[in-house]
Amino acid sequence: MGAEQAWLLAAVPAGMFVVLALFGRLLPRKGDFLGVLAIGTAFVLFFFVLHDFLHVGESNWPVVRDIKWSDIGSFHLRMGIVVDQITIVMFAVITTVALMVNVFSIGYMKGEPRYWWFFAVLQLFAASMLMLVMADNLLLLYISWELVGVCSFLLIGFYWEKRSATEAAKKAFITTRVGDVGLLIGIILLYKATGTFNIREIIDHAKSGDIGSTYLFVSMCFVFLGAMGKSAQVPFHVWLPDAMEGPTPVSALIHAATMVVAGVYLTARMLPVFEVAHGTTLIITIVGLVTALLTGFMALAQTDIKKVLAYSTVGQLGFMFVALGCGRPDAAMFHLMTHAFFKALLFLGSGSVILGTHHNQEMGKLGGLWKKMPVTGTTFLVGSLALAGVVPLAGFWSKDEILAATQTWSGGWVTILLGFAAIMTAFYSTRLFIRTFLGKPLDQQVYDHTHESPAVMTLPLVFLAILAAVAGLVVFNGVGRALGFPGGITEFVFLEEPERYHIVWSLAGGSVVLAVVGIFFGAWMYWGGSLVRSTRAAEFQPRLYEMIQRKFYFDELYQGMIDRVVLGFSFVVSWFDRYVVNDTGVDGSAQMTGYSGFLLKHLQTGKVPNYAMGIALGVVALAAAGLVVRG
Amino acid sequence: MVPLDNYLVLSAIIFSIGVYGVLARRSAVLILMSVELMLNAVSLNFVAFAAYLDPNRVAGAIFAIFVITVAAAEVGLALAIVIRLFRNRATANVDEAASLKW
Amino acid sequence: MTFDERQGYIVLATLAAPLLAMTLLFFVPGSKKMAARYISLAFATIMLALSVYIFVAYQVHGGDIQMQLRWEWVQNVAFLGKDGISLHLGVDGISALMALLTGVVAFAGTLVAWKIDFRTKDFFILYWMLIGGVYGTFFSLDLFFFFFFYELAVVPLYMLIGIWGSTRKEYGAMKLTLMLVGGSALIWIGIFATFHQTGLGTFDLPTLWKAGADGTLTPEFQKVFFPFFVVGCGVLAALWPLHTWSPDGHMAAPTAVSMVHAGVLMKLGAFGIIRLGIQLMPAGASFWMPGLMVLGVIGAVYGATAALTQRDFKLISGYSSVSHMGYVLMGLATLNQIGVSGAVLQMFSHGVMTALVFLMIGALYDQAHTRDLKDFGGLGKVMPMWVIFYTIAGLANVGLPGLSGFTAEFHIFVGTFQTYPVFGALAIFAAALAAAYMLRMFSIVFFGPFNPRWSSLRDITPLETISGGLLIGAMLAMGIWWAPFLDRVGHSVMLLPGVTG
Repeated sequence: MGAEQAWLLAAVPAGMFVVLALFGRLLPRKGDFLGVLAIGTAFVLFFFVLHDFLHVGESNWPVVRDIKWSDIGSFHLRMGIVVDQITIVMFAVITTVALMVNVFSIGYMKGEPRYWWFFAVLQLFAASMLMLVMADNLLLLYISWELVGVCSFLLIGFYWEKRSATEAAKKAFITTRVGDVGLLIGIILLYKATGTFNIREIIDHAKSGDIGSTYLFVSMCFVFLGAMGKSAQVPFHVWLPDAMEGPTPVSALIHAATMVVAGVYLTARMLPVFEVAHGTTLIITIVGLVTALLTGFMALAQTDIKKVLAYSTVGQLGFMFVALGCGRPDAAMFHLMTHAFFKALLFLGSGSVILGTHHNQEMGKLGGLWKKMPVTGTTFLVGSLALAGVVPLAGFWSKDEILAATQTWSGGWVTILLGFAAIMTAFYSTRLFIRTFLGKPLDQQVYDHTHESPAVMTLPLVFLAILAAVAGLVVFNGVGRALGFPGGITEFVFLEEPERYHIVWSLAGGSVVLAVVGIFFGAWMYWGGSLVRSTRAAEFQPRLYEMIQRKFYFDELYQGMIDRVVLGFSFVVSWFDRYVVNDTGVDGSAQMTGYSGFLLKHLQTGKVPNYAMGIALGVVALAAAGLVVRG
Repeated sequence: MVPLDNYLVLSAIIFSIGVYGVLARRSAVLILMSVELMLNAVSLNFVAFAAYLDPNRVAGAIFAIFVITVAAAEVGLALAIVIRLFRNRATANVDEAASLKW
Repeated sequence: MTFDERQGYIVLATLAAPLLAMTLLFFVPGSKKMAARYISLAFATIMLALSVYIFVAYQVHGGDIQMQLRWEWVQNVAFLGKDGISLHLGVDGISALMALLTGVVAFAGTLVAWKIDFRTKDFFILYWMLIGGVYGTFFSLDLFFFFFFYELAVVPLYMLIGIWGSTRKEYGAMKLTLMLVGGSALIWIGIFATFHQTGLGTFDLPTLWKAGADGTLTPEFQKVFFPFFVVGCGVLAALWPLHTWSPDGHMAAPTAVSMVHAGVLMKLGAFGIIRLGIQLMPAGASFWMPGLMVLGVIGAVYGATAALTQRDFKLISGYSSVSHMGYVLMGLATLNQIGVSGAVLQMFSHGVMTALVFLMIGALYDQAHTRDLKDFGGLGKVMPMWVIFYTIAGLANVGLPGLSGFTAEFHIFVGTFQTYPVFGALAIFAAALAAAYMLRMFSIVFFGPFNPRWSSLRDITPLETISGGLLIGAMLAMGIWWAPFLDRVGHSVMLLPGVTG
């Protein structure tokens, strides 16, 4: 079993999806252990793939394998896999988090309706996501892209008896669909210019200047639209917070660690092409920056613990895009990995809180939970500190890399703005932790019934906490080599020239300062769980606060646009079709015909002299015509 | 010899009187009489042409005999219909026999 | 008799089966409904088996037209010369796929028509007449018989909808029939014009195709008469703006008829455009195709937009069909191999998908007697299988990879982009609109809080499940492993005149 059989990682969960979908209801325990088994197998297979990959050595990278799929004329479609460094990082992330989520779900989803279906779709999702990251051509990538989108739809709408869940699922699917339109247009435009869907061939064509620069710019902008949609970057961010309607393990897996990073993955894969298309990297950086800032603000005012984490996720994705825009796919992938671990941890932790407090996720009802939920609390603390970027936890190292990367943009404006976003990150993480776990409980009823979660849920939390703590150390070349890699993660991932990692003390110090400032400010604001200072801050600038709380009115804007423009246009078209095309055109011509009959029937007077007159006139007319023709 | 034109004009005049009668008269019998006028005008026309243009002076006359025969048969039939109509409706007014209308 | 005789007989048998069923049913007493049903089911099974055989046995590397059979009908009389009119049957890659479509949908429709209780025998007689006409059109290689079977397929619709239909059935039936027959009149003019122009005294299609290619049908002639065929066939293919018979017709028709009508019959129009338009008049085609492309794009976007605010299920589906047929017409108008193949794949894909959708709508309407979306809510609680099947159909509609809709639409998009990138972008955008109107319908009807008014609804019957399962199987087959489909279709598409690589 080598890297060439990496497709098995996707095939096993896919097969298990079919089994669970058809028979899940009938199996003992509704097949949840089979779900864990399938993902677990993928997890184990990953290590085989990794071993083989490292074994064949750098000169043989990437490992590829493809088969012929269909043919018509000169249109040859091949489907295949490519295993390179980015793929390996993604495999690690996906299999690990998916396994943790599957195990956690056994505890969290206990007793829920359609329990078997939950695990089935989780398998399909894992299979599709794995296929996405090893697709060697854009068509297969698009296929997987859509499949993960459908899984997301099915899982967000899992509790479909609730209107809000269904609406959220619909919103997610349609918002990402709009982005997907762009992606498909971009893919076909690239095919038209290069004659292939294969990613490596497209990169080669782009680098050798085969594609016109304006054409390439337009195509890559369309492709990036898809990435923006899937990764919920502004202005497509509106679906992700609503997606929190789904069960919390889903939020952890899909909307934190894996699916939403698909946009980052795609951009990283296609980065060589983006770099040839001048101007796109600036766009990517700006989009990421704006997103990180805006969502940072939005996270400050949310009171639902999952929503805070959702906005945080979008913001951290913004960080990753900034890194990509700066030409550092290694920094982006590194942050993707660390973020996956600590964000999944935080989400699962909040799931533990939700279950432990019997379905409460509003901070207004929580507080002081540390004593009652020590394991959850401790792991949550590790996650929060990692998110805030405290050394030596994982988040510190990756965020620092990104901040270092921003130096490519002269003037330092990117660094400063991103730094501000980092402070906000630390602030809202602190706020979240303090208001949930410290201070006095705000609702005594809830507090009295709170209990710690069972081991099947806390063990994944601990495992992820360990990863959140130490995973960042792989940035060091020594650590990387000890694990069998050619170097640290930045050196491993950076596809062009290896990036030898070295600490820039000034910047690293700066990152520490940012984190400390944010945490300090957060702690000061919410000391002891009191809301006195924060309420005063909110009242200081009520309009501004309301704007932040209403998420800058994006949802209202979109709803207005949909209602007035899209639905309005639809009503116009329907009206046009019914009243103009049909009633006037079709029915109208039918009525015209009927009416002409009505008029003509009056010729039948029944009076013989009238008919005689007709004959006489006819004869005269014919004679005249005859004379004219002859003469 | 009287010029041919005279006969043609005469026949045209008689024909026109006949046409007027068919189109403008209300009485069925009068209409039939006008039809007869038209037929006779046509016969006159045929005979005139035969007399003046035909070396054998025969073809037109034969046509005239055909016309007279057909006219006789047709009048017999037509008058039978008129009598029927009269018996059913107590009128020979053609304007009132207009039931086959929309 | 000539050509590969045994396989030609199989094609003849496939055509004869529905006509035989029809004849046999004449002798069944009207009161014996189960007998009528079982006879129909038996013949439907035979047709399905034969259709599958035809599809599978078509040789991807053989000649273009296979399994031919030819019986002289009338020749050397009056204006007919040698080979005047002959029953010339045969199959090419495109019609092989269409035959498969007909077999599948006809079978599914038979299972659904099981519950027709009023004058069952008469229903099935007309149904088999319809199917016979469809098969005949697909297999016919003689222009006279092509038209004969085309009419045979359209005429029974009037009675089927007018007698067994529902909402405004007389109006729907009348409008549908008159519009379709109006289109046929245009085709008829085109046929005679072609017959006269070639001066060969034959209606044999392969001969006429040669005449079209070698200049006997002059380019000027083709430019004038191509629109007759395109518009005439286009009415049946819901070519905008002649599509309005479709929404009202669907609303009026009974379920089984809707399935066949939207699933198979509308494809007859597109098929006619290929056989009579592209193959017969390539010069006319290349002249008029940009116009057809515009109408196709309008249809695609217009249909999707209108579907967004409809309140009646069948209207959503009807407009969705207009949109999808718009894609078919766009694909044909690209006149390149990828696009035209995509169009044919879309004909199959949309056929089975829409048959499934109408099956689902019928299953609900027959119990609920209302089709207004707002009346429902949370139906997943009482009709889970129904929701699952309909969701799958809906996702195929949206073009989700893994189901046939994506395969077909993808090829059409790639083909369109080769020459008309802006229209291609609009078409992809219309696919996003499809997601909007589908999901809107899902969220209002399947999900959300349960409306207790519907507590007594029962889920789909076993027959409906088999029917639906068969259709889903077809969608998955083309969605996942589409090479067998594309190979056969592409084989013939590549040989079409005027179609570039």
